[in-house]
Amino acid sequence: MTLIKKISLVIVSLSLVAVSSVSSAKPFSPKKPIELIIPAGQGGGADEIARLVQGVIEKNDYASKPVIPINKKGGSGGEAMTYVKKKAGDEHTLIITLNNVLTTPVNQPELGIDFFNDFTPLARLITDTFLVWIATEGKNTQGVETFDDFIALAKQGNLVAGGTGSMSEDELLLGMMRGQFGFDAKYVPYDGGGAVAKGLVGGESDFTLNNPSEQMGFYQSGDSKALVMMTPERNPAFPEVPSSYELGYPDLEYYMMRAFMAPAGIDAEVEKYYTGLLHTVYHDDEFQTFNIDDGKLMSWLEGYGLKDFLAIEYEKHGEIIKNFN
Amino acid sequence: METFALLLQGMATSFELLNLGLLIFGCLIGLFVGAMPGLGSVNGVAILIPITFIVPPTAAIIFLAAVYYGAMYGGAISSVMLGIPGASTAVATVFDGRPLAVKGEAMTALTAAAVGSFVGGTVSVILFTLFAPPLAEVALRFNAPETFALMVMAFATFVGLGGDDIPKTIFSILIGLVLSTIGLDLITGKPRLIFFGIPGFLHGINFLVLAIGIYGIGEMLWTLEETKGKVQMSKLSVNMKEVGRAFSALKKTIMAMNIGSFLGFFVGILPAAGATPASLMSYGITKQLSRNSKEFGNGVPAGVVAPECANNSASTGSMLPMLTLGIPGSPTTAILLGGMILWGLTPGPLLFTQQPEFVWGLIGSLYIANFFTLVLNIALIPAFLMVLRIPFAILAPVIFVLCVTGGYAPTQSLHDVWLMLLFGFGGYMLRKLDYPVAPAVLSIVLGPLAEKAMRQSLILSDGSMGIFFDFASKPIAAVIMYIAIVLLIMPAFGPLYRRFFKKT
Repeated sequence: MTLIKKISLVIVSLSLVAVSSVSSAKPFSPKKPIELIIPAGQGGGADEIARLVQGVIEKNDYASKPVIPINKKGGSGGEAMTYVKKKAGDEHTLIITLNNVLTTPVNQPELGIDFFNDFTPLARLITDTFLVWIATEGKNTQGVETFDDFIALAKQGNLVAGGTGSMSEDELLLGMMRGQFGFDAKYVPYDGGGAVAKGLVGGESDFTLNNPSEQMGFYQSGDSKALVMMTPERNPAFPEVPSSYELGYPDLEYYMMRAFMAPAGIDAEVEKYYTGLLHTVYHDDEFQTFNIDDGKLMSWLEGYGLKDFLAIEYEKHGEIIKNFN
Repeated sequence: METFALLLQGMATSFELLNLGLLIFGCLIGLFVGAMPGLGSVNGVAILIPITFIVPPTAAIIFLAAVYYGAMYGGAISSVMLGIPGASTAVATVFDGRPLAVKGEAMTALTAAAVGSFVGGTVSVILFTLFAPPLAEVALRFNAPETFALMVMAFATFVGLGGDDIPKTIFSILIGLVLSTIGLDLITGKPRLIFFGIPGFLHGINFLVLAIGIYGIGEMLWTLEETKGKVQMSKLSVNMKEVGRAFSALKKTIMAMNIGSFLGFFVGILPAAGATPASLMSYGITKQLSRNSKEFGNGVPAGVVAPECANNSASTGSMLPMLTLGIPGSPTTAILLGGMILWGLTPGPLLFTQQPEFVWGLIGSLYIANFFTLVLNIALIPAFLMVLRIPFAILAPVIFVLCVTGGYAPTQSLHDVWLMLLFGFGGYMLRKLDYPVAPAVLSIVLGPLAEKAMRQSLILSDGSMGIFFDFASKPIAAVIMYIAIVLLIMPAFGPLYRRFFKKT
């Protein structure tokens, strides 16, 4: 009897615990302002998306608490990633990614960032594309009409590439292209995509590998033109620009991912809440229109799909860095 | 004539009820964020961007430009009244504004700041209206070698400060330069000078942390020691005589106004420089060219007018590359630019033709914002002066709290608060040993700009310094470089020249 009593007591208490834990698992909602960490400076591509997300959330009251973007641009994202790593278990911190979250842990091992265990990936919203740009009136690129013309010219002599520097996406991409096409070019780093575009049109550099939005103004005014977009298909925002697949260079494919992650060690409920919030933002009309007009690719990805994607990209970037060095 | 019609239309746009309301509201917010140490136009504009999704783009830019503008005026208030730079753009205002306030001439300092800001703002917006497209072309041709030459010129004006001990000035510049290299290598992206592997050094030394430390904490320690806590601020009555005296002091600042307005505007239109370097350079050059350059730093109105004129002028100027080239001329315009993109506008050469209402609405509003901020500022001077009636025993802890929040705000990391305290103590020691601290502040601002421009140029020239002196291919860079060299050696010949000049 006593044994049965004991067992039943255990069962009762266990079920009580179960019941109480179920009842306590109310859907999560933020209790204080949400910090959105931007591992880049103000006015750049990541900053732009982060502030757009903030704007869309606040305008439509998608979240019960405000979102506060904080720029931590130091150390190619190293500062931001160290910060988020320290915030493990914090339910009010998010980080927007550039590809530097894939490269900085490899380039700066002294930071001790473990890409796979220090973050909780939530969702990828957008992928940004890359194009090869030249100035329409470029003094060293006269007569270049197609990407093949460009490669032929690049092989001859010292063209100057403008980029955002510090082992950024375009510098790695240039490294990839050097290996693939066997040309060499000087690489001059600037502060951000806007300055890169100005350096091109101002005649200081001969070509750039900018994202669409960074070159849009000069593209629309006809001061610069794109030779190739590094994607399988043409983009409706740039109908006359061929894709690298069309030109027969399927290896020339590269993207910038705009994903969101939370610190490690958050509850599944919290993860679900933020993924849901991002999903609402993703389907917002204003968010969609803005990004499509800007030549970006809307590419929602979450859960295991996202984890696989990140693992593949991480490995790919490790390879690019190895070849680059 | 067409420009004139568009401008009038733009001004009319600013007088629409919504726009006018936002403009005045923006000026007031700007005054506040500008006056609060640590909160500057960058933070103010960044915080307010989401609000602007609710109103049309023209109203949004008018609002944010007014905040930007108001902050340029507001920064002077805490610089003068408390000796803490309210914003990075107002650091140079402390140099002479604070001594004026201590001498009991706070009224003169505030009037000089407000009028200087108004003159700088108005001159620059007129230049903007008349010459925007050709100036955009200048900005486009102003590349790395030219930028480096300009930075050398800025350093030269500070080395050549008449009266100061030149070796000590150079020492101070070098301290600033070393501090400015902490963080991330600008070209390779590798961390450098990360002391003890502390991650807080990864973002480098924020300029405001140094400035607030040196001027806020250091100044407070100095004042406490000098007066043993019995600080007496004299002559606080506001009457017509005082007002008259304040305005008559402005007569001697015409040169400072000219230098501040034109130099400020020019530096403003150059990408990546902005109002902070403009105000420091304008202070340096005004001091260099002034007849009584020895008086600078002890409280002369021209020392307040020059930087205040320049920061407003530069903030208008920095909108030019933003609108016409799509590149930010200052950190604040970087955020405005992001905002414009989010509102669905494409900054760039076509903006003037495709969105005339937006562009001219903005330009028109700058005239009006200038006027309103001047009126607001002059009207509020008596209120600001009340601060000086507070006993120092109460004021000192308040200043300390403002310094701590000001050090924390830009990066939101406690690491920077400790650094600021350290700099405060270091600044105090330097001052006791009679080292000038302003050059250190200048070089932490200009150091990264100069380093980047130099390394970009040297990549282009395959390492040859000749790129800075080549009249044939880079005439602008060469001319500025030679002027810089002349400015650098002038202090040696200056006294001889003056003696010669006086005798004849």
